[in-house]
Amino acid sequence: MAINRRDFVRITAAAGAGLALGRKLPLAFAAERSPIVVARGTDPAGITRAAVDALGGMGRFVKKGEVVVVKPNIGWDRTPELAANTNPQVVAEVVRMCLEAGARKVKVLDRTCNDPRRCYVQSGIADALKPLDVELKHIDERRFRDVRIGGKAIDKWPLYSEALDADRLINVPIAKHHGLARLTMSMKNWMGVMGGRRSAIHQKLDQSLADLMLVIRPDLIVLDAVRILTDNGPQGGSLKDVKKLDTVIAGTDQVGVDSYGATLFGLKGRDLGYVVAAEDMGLGSSDISPERVREIKL
Amino acid sequence: MARDKRRTGRLTYARMASQGAFLILFLYLFVETQSKGEDTLGPPVRLFLDFDPLILLTTLLSSHAAPVAFYMSVALVLVTLVLGRVFCGWACPLGTLNNITASLRKRTSSHDWHRLKYLILVFLLASSFFTLQLAGLMDPMSLLIRSLALSIYPALNQAASSASLVLYEHGPAPSFTDAAYVWLKGLVLPFNEPHYSQALLLGSLFLLVIGLNLHERRLWCRHLCPLGALLGLLSRHSLLRRSVSEGCTGCGACTTLCQGAAAPDRKELWKSEECYYCMNCDDACPEGAVSFGFSGSRRQAALDLGRRRVIGAALAGAAAVPLMRVSGAAATVDPLLVRPPGALGEMDFLSRCVRCGECMKVCITGGLQPAFLEAGPEGLWTPVLVPRMGYCEYNCTLCGQVCPTGAIKRLSRNEKAKVHIGTAMIDKGRCLPWAHGRPCIVCEEMCPTPKKAIWFQEADVKLRNGRKVRLKQPVVDLELCIGCGICEAKCPVVDRPAIYVTCSGESRSDNNRILL
Repeated sequence: MAINRRDFVRITAAAGAGLALGRKLPLAFAAERSPIVVARGTDPAGITRAAVDALGGMGRFVKKGEVVVVKPNIGWDRTPELAANTNPQVVAEVVRMCLEAGARKVKVLDRTCNDPRRCYVQSGIADALKPLDVELKHIDERRFRDVRIGGKAIDKWPLYSEALDADRLINVPIAKHHGLARLTMSMKNWMGVMGGRRSAIHQKLDQSLADLMLVIRPDLIVLDAVRILTDNGPQGGSLKDVKKLDTVIAGTDQVGVDSYGATLFGLKGRDLGYVVAAEDMGLGSSDISPERVREIKL
Repeated sequence: MARDKRRTGRLTYARMASQGAFLILFLYLFVETQSKGEDTLGPPVRLFLDFDPLILLTTLLSSHAAPVAFYMSVALVLVTLVLGRVFCGWACPLGTLNNITASLRKRTSSHDWHRLKYLILVFLLASSFFTLQLAGLMDPMSLLIRSLALSIYPALNQAASSASLVLYEHGPAPSFTDAAYVWLKGLVLPFNEPHYSQALLLGSLFLLVIGLNLHERRLWCRHLCPLGALLGLLSRHSLLRRSVSEGCTGCGACTTLCQGAAAPDRKELWKSEECYYCMNCDDACPEGAVSFGFSGSRRQAALDLGRRRVIGAALAGAAAVPLMRVSGAAATVDPLLVRPPGALGEMDFLSRCVRCGECMKVCITGGLQPAFLEAGPEGLWTPVLVPRMGYCEYNCTLCGQVCPTGAIKRLSRNEKAKVHIGTAMIDKGRCLPWAHGRPCIVCEEMCPTPKKAIWFQEADVKLRNGRKVRLKQPVVDLELCIGCGICEAKCPVVDRPAIYVTCSGESRSDNNRILL
């Protein structure tokens, strides 16, 4: 473990130190300018693994015996080719790596927008996870817990206790168009652990998403851009709006990952209100200079 | 004699085993009438309705057509012609529930009302001949499925979840309680907590039917059930006969145990059309004098319904047709009468719907609700979509799959995408970006059509504090909106949503259209 840790520190400086010492460190310290890996290739599982490996491997993030919550976007009753939900192969590969790293239990969950049964099945995620020893359960409305957030837009909100109580949180969103946020990627994906009348946060969406980062701190982000949805998001429904990019982006800073994701749509990170809000709160860095981003081609 | 008695005892047990098996099959199919996330349901959940000849006959009369599956009920007709009313005694799940309830009391009264069910049958046949389909109100399969789906099952679910919550919070072993509840939920409880607007009325009527057994054993089956009446008429000349040997002492033991009040003590002059072949008389006879076989006497009591009564019932059935329609519900459309996708035009729909409640049971969001008077008295308990309780899921086609009569057509996903069940309109006085200077895009975000039926017009608005904001104000595209109601269901203005669906623009109507 010691050698691995040294490797990691060499790659990631402060972020590596923060992660290796545990989750108690202030988030801003851990996330500042941490590396972003962009992996391209036609095999979704392969580029997912390559991207995580380039960050130092799943063993950096998941320790033996830990409970891990993997949070894909399973929000919509859409099939994989329509790019409304996270690519099932990407999700399955992340879960597989967690299990290989010795996780005691891996849970995959999302509070869906359409009927949960259809979303889990039609997204292809239920099928992709079948061979794995993973718990894919529907949200149980009794398991939300009021959490004090103390943000600028939201003060308190019911959040899913299983996500809060997990040893590790892995965010596995998909990059999509959105009518208000412009794009939805990693930061907005956490709406999937919000209970109650979550649609009300659209009134102050950007700030609310940044506020959420005060209490939900993923250890790893794997952004699926195998297919992206360029219009009529976030649920699409037409292949005309889908673009195949065969890309996966991994990192530990949601602001940085979303900032890079914006470039896939011809935007800059700071074109997105929530990236600006989060960066201004010191919750991450939108910098995507070549020193920070490592590109891999498979 | 003793050997005979053992043989007949076995028949009673066989009957009970059959009743139990059919009840369990019925309940299994009932619970399985629920989405698992796939496009289609696995098991044939409407099996009991497909085998119901009363539904077949009245549907043929009222709409001159019936779906192919319904001809399975011809099998039940054939069985009845050979074996008599065995369906009532050996298979009918409502009959079995009546049977079980009646067994709670040793002795009940007996009334000579058995003619009533034949008159009800005549009434229903006459009204369906003139296109008014009311059979479902009293058909036992429809009654049972509707009552369980819309009232009893949701009530049991609520009892289970409240009990588990109380036990979880105050009981000794919360984790065990929770595990037990989760297990129960996976096994028999519904995925979503169901709510139906008329649960109390429907449940009370059902409990009344069941409770009547305490007054008279199988009162519903003996005197009211129109399917029983139809099967009774068919069984008048069935091949399986009951015979009583010389050994009969006339002790009357059979009469008290007879489930159908078929006058078994009258030997050959028993009422064969009232007999369920429950085998109780065979079992009870201390002399072993009763037996059933294919070679018995052809004699039987006459069935005298009274010509005037029959004519009266037929006339009443015919008169009900204009009486039910004169209120004019068909002429003025109730804007909230949003029918499920694939529903036929209103007249055709009403002539087919048997109010079995399968569509409401299977509706993935629980939005399909039993109508009260929205569709006129004729439309009582027919399905209507109430988006505030649940929207129509874009890719779901389950209601059309379970409808037994084709009142709701079975649609493919592609066909369904083209069906408009209504149109959403925005209440600009309540909409946040229109009236209150606040951003909100929930209706647009949720809108499921591939090219969204809700688009934004941008407006610069000056707020009270002088600050200017640019707002996206939602607008409905009438050509694209299918009326699914997800916008209404998810609108953050909860009590009276700022966007709502009415049946305006529904594909199934030629008149209720907006666009040219």
